[in-house]
Amino acid sequence: MAVLDDLDVNPLLEGLDTERRAPPCVLVVFGGSGDLTSRKLLPAIAQLAHRRLLPTAFSVVGVARTEWTDDDFRRHALASGGTTEPGWARMVEGFRYVAGDYAEPDTFERLRAVLDEIDATRGTGGNRVFYLATVPQVFASVAAALGRHGLAKRSADGPKSFVRLVIEKPFGHDLPSARQLDRDLHEVFDENQLYRIDHYLGKETVQNVLALRFANAIFEPIWNRRYVDSVQITVAESVGVGHRGGFYESAGALRDIVQNHVMQVLALTAMEPPATVDAEGIRDEKVKALRAVKVLSPGEVPDHVVRGQYARGWVEGEEVPGYREETGIAPTSPTETYVAARLTIDNWRWAGVPFFLRTGKRLPKRVTEVALTFRDVPHLPFPSGMSTQLGPNALVLRIQPDEGITLRFGAKVPGQAFRVRTVNMDFSYGAAFVEESPEAYERLLLDAMTGDPTLFIRTDEVEHAWRIWDPVLAAWAEPTAPPPFAYAAGSWGPDEATQLLHGRTWRNP
Amino acid sequence: MSTVETLCVWAEESVRLDAVLHALEELRRPEPMPAVRNSVLNLCIVGADSRNVDRARAAVHELAGRHPARVLHLVLDPEARGGDIGLDARIELLGGEAEGRELWFEDVELVVRGPATAHLHSIIEPLTLADLPVVAWFVDEPPAVDDPILSAADVVLVDSRQLGGVDCFPNLTELVARHTVVDLSWMRLAPWRTLLAGLFEGPDFRPFVHHVTGAEVAGRTGPRHLVGGWLADRLGLPRNAIHLTEAEHVTIRLHAELPDGRRGTFLASRGDIRRVEARADVAGGPTSSAVLELPEATPAWGLADALSRLERDPVYECALARALS
Repeated sequence: MAVLDDLDVNPLLEGLDTERRAPPCVLVVFGGSGDLTSRKLLPAIAQLAHRRLLPTAFSVVGVARTEWTDDDFRRHALASGGTTEPGWARMVEGFRYVAGDYAEPDTFERLRAVLDEIDATRGTGGNRVFYLATVPQVFASVAAALGRHGLAKRSADGPKSFVRLVIEKPFGHDLPSARQLDRDLHEVFDENQLYRIDHYLGKETVQNVLALRFANAIFEPIWNRRYVDSVQITVAESVGVGHRGGFYESAGALRDIVQNHVMQVLALTAMEPPATVDAEGIRDEKVKALRAVKVLSPGEVPDHVVRGQYARGWVEGEEVPGYREETGIAPTSPTETYVAARLTIDNWRWAGVPFFLRTGKRLPKRVTEVALTFRDVPHLPFPSGMSTQLGPNALVLRIQPDEGITLRFGAKVPGQAFRVRTVNMDFSYGAAFVEESPEAYERLLLDAMTGDPTLFIRTDEVEHAWRIWDPVLAAWAEPTAPPPFAYAAGSWGPDEATQLLHGRTWRNP
Repeated sequence: MSTVETLCVWAEESVRLDAVLHALEELRRPEPMPAVRNSVLNLCIVGADSRNVDRARAAVHELAGRHPARVLHLVLDPEARGGDIGLDARIELLGGEAEGRELWFEDVELVVRGPATAHLHSIIEPLTLADLPVVAWFVDEPPAVDDPILSAADVVLVDSRQLGGVDCFPNLTELVARHTVVDLSWMRLAPWRTLLAGLFEGPDFRPFVHHVTGAEVAGRTGPRHLVGGWLADRLGLPRNAIHLTEAEHVTIRLHAELPDGRRGTFLASRGDIRRVEARADVAGGPTSSAVLELPEATPAWGLADALSRLERDPVYECALARALS
């Protein structure tokens, strides 16, 4: 028989697939009429509803300047959810909308009244998740307004009610601005209420780096300087800047991809085994790895970091314009669309092992991977000429697309002679797990509602990542700094990036 | 769901098992690009009633995109004697596509005769794919606890509603004590259980779950008894506080009263053919409602969840035990 002594326990939930079901709460989306909300957040909420992971006591409140009514927002949500299920339609009926300027106190007063009404009618118990799907310039002012209107701290409605704030990258545009943003947010929220999203961490295959490394006995013993010659991390996009020209001009590839996505992948690849796979256990080890990354001096930047900018070329069979020809881009723009870097990690595990990072737009294909190349065997016992097709062993973690793992090793070519050459052993997640993986936003939204910050960025991670890249940005900002190297759209970047490898070659993912 | 087509067939009568194994190896060879094995489990269908077997096969094929399985269908003829002792075998190599990926798996039908029917593990084990769980699905009747197939199976799959409802519960109760049993009838009740449990979430509703005074459960024999057993076990209700009535579809209504006299009603019922609706009404408090669309009532309903969860379910086992008490 079930134990009914614990009044916090719902005995009817045991045994159901609801371990990660969200508690009763209201999700308040600032930027509720915006692009991120319609493309990512509302479809993710619809999927969570479809998977039965949302509670019956749940609502979404959109807040934005757009002059919409509740019904306008509901129609928008219904259409954006990407499903015709009646459960979604029923859920959307309870959504609300507050139209108003974020600078106007009245906006927040009306928001508070709506939230109180939802608590009273739907039983959401004062639990709130505020999501800032807005431009970063208003993060601090919205947080401050939430504080002024009594919406930021724990509610008095119930001893266990919660208030959380989710913010999207970029977290500042350099180290000082990131620290200022943190100070502003911490004026109102405790660190444990802040959920900084890097959607890369919500991808199943990024999380699989942890599973591969720490759930298997065979990889970790060779995951170090004794066996690994170098590590290459590639985050390649085939698209250009598209409609993000305005944003991209002020950001560039380093701020847009390297400082956050690439550094998160690097941290997961390089970190030590955590004592526990919980939020603090993993984030502590990621921070240690980031702290161990050697910070370049301004003089070292040219020999360790190459920036590029795509010129007109051909991608996927179509001729595409150069970056400076794109809409919203200055014809003399110095913004980088490509970054390659050689970093070192000064600790016992990785001393002397170069980490080569590469990201860019308008590269030949969209691919994200981590490749560990291993040292050569000390002696090849084969006759001369029999191993000319033998390359170094490599372990490649393919994060997207075609998620999986490739192990490259030498094998005998069938025949009378003892020729050896490199072969691939491929593992595809798609062949082993045919079920559908949740989308990154789906996973992260649920984590924010359930209060699991493991896949969110802690403030010290943000700071250490900026600490690594601030000198590079400073060097590039110098008037004497050379402009980005041009590369043809559809190529793997400027030739100058090869010089970072010191005789090695970039992989062709 | 995937569309499945037969790529090739091999069939022989009165053959030895090694011929069947050889045929399985050879079937893939003519294909231009031998596919990576996609199967994620071995599924052994045990039964003689062709309607039940066909329904089970249809369900497996429907789910091929999510749970591609090597399917073994065993037809037993223990009374056969003399020259009839041999295997009649038919193997189909099936191909399908799920989310852009090509899937191949085999469907093996074997007629087993004579003394070999008492040693089925010696036939099943060579035919199973290594390192994958073996699920024995009994489609006609639940197995006896000493059924020889159980020694080769990791999981016993049944549908208690199809097997006579409450009449098969004594047999299942014995089985769950010794084997991992997954009951499709129980899996299909998950939407009702999920919605009902969800009604008690949140500070306005949670206190009521500890003060449920009575329950009304309507449904067919089997499902309604399982729900009754579940409520009795989870909520500590005496048997006489639960009223069971016959109905086509499941409806669950709980009545609760807090020590301060406030009352609440919690209802989960089938709104129409494709959805379950739930509603909580508490005196002087908020109301809460939810709706959940049910999957199409195909043979695969419940099977996908069952195959995702091939493990003991203590909540089911307790519900089964209390359903009989």
